[in-house]
Amino acid sequence: MTAQLTWLALAAVTLAGAAGVISTREIMRLVIALGTFLLGVAGFFAFYALPFLAVAQVFVYVGGVLVLFLFAIMAHKPDDEGRRLLSARFDAGVAVTCAGLFILLIVTLQPLAGLATLAPVVSSGPEAAAAVLLGPQLPLFELLGALLLAALVAGIAIAGKGDDE
Amino acid sequence: MSLLLLTSALFCLGLYGVLTRHDLVALLASVEVMLGAGTIQLAAFSTTLIATGTSAASAASGQGYTLAILVLAAAEAAIGLALLVVLVRSGRTRTDQIEEVRG
Repeated sequence: MTAQLTWLALAAVTLAGAAGVISTREIMRLVIALGTFLLGVAGFFAFYALPFLAVAQVFVYVGGVLVLFLFAIMAHKPDDEGRRLLSARFDAGVAVTCAGLFILLIVTLQPLAGLATLAPVVSSGPEAAAAVLLGPQLPLFELLGALLLAALVAGIAIAGKGDDE
Repeated sequence: MSLLLLTSALFCLGLYGVLTRHDLVALLASVEVMLGAGTIQLAAFSTTLIATGTSAASAASGQGYTLAILVLAAAEAAIGLALLVVLVRSGRTRTDQIEEVRG
């Protein structure tokens, strides 16, 4: 019962955050909504007995990417020309398409639903994650490190390019 | 089933944001929502799938792949926000204002 309530609370937080991201027109509210969503995702990781991922999510996203968003917003011009939600015919068409995709996803993935439980049946701590990441998944782990370094260098190169011109 | 409903709804909400929002920051945030939905699904299935014999090793593998998605999303956000800084300098922050590419 407690697990179900916790799950429902986390679902409500993530859905509210996602709805805020797609609906709000104020940039700071958007960042707060994104932070709420990302904290909800971290909560789900903790709920599913994956504490390493929960901490990584908080450090990388809430502590890193959100701060990056805030830095970008400092130089950002507010969008005063934003259309209201579902005011355009295009938006209504996209909403219908997304609803169709939602139904398609549910129908396609339904066979998996019976195979899973709501609460985790196994737990996996940082030791198990380290054993995998530094064992069979070591090439993937190294590749991710190289990718992050490349993204960092590319980000600096892209953002610094305008200074010379 | 409830997990599938939640993650599918989150993914579709993110997709709706990507297709309808014209502001670059909002567009990037919507992409993060789509990726977040995927990571919840992957992490949850790595620890809750009982019929396929979920073990601690498979749960740890799920952690590895979820971490890969987290890193990819962080790299995507870094590049996207760097592009945003460049576009802000040229006075264009809406996707419908970006009509030309080089090359």
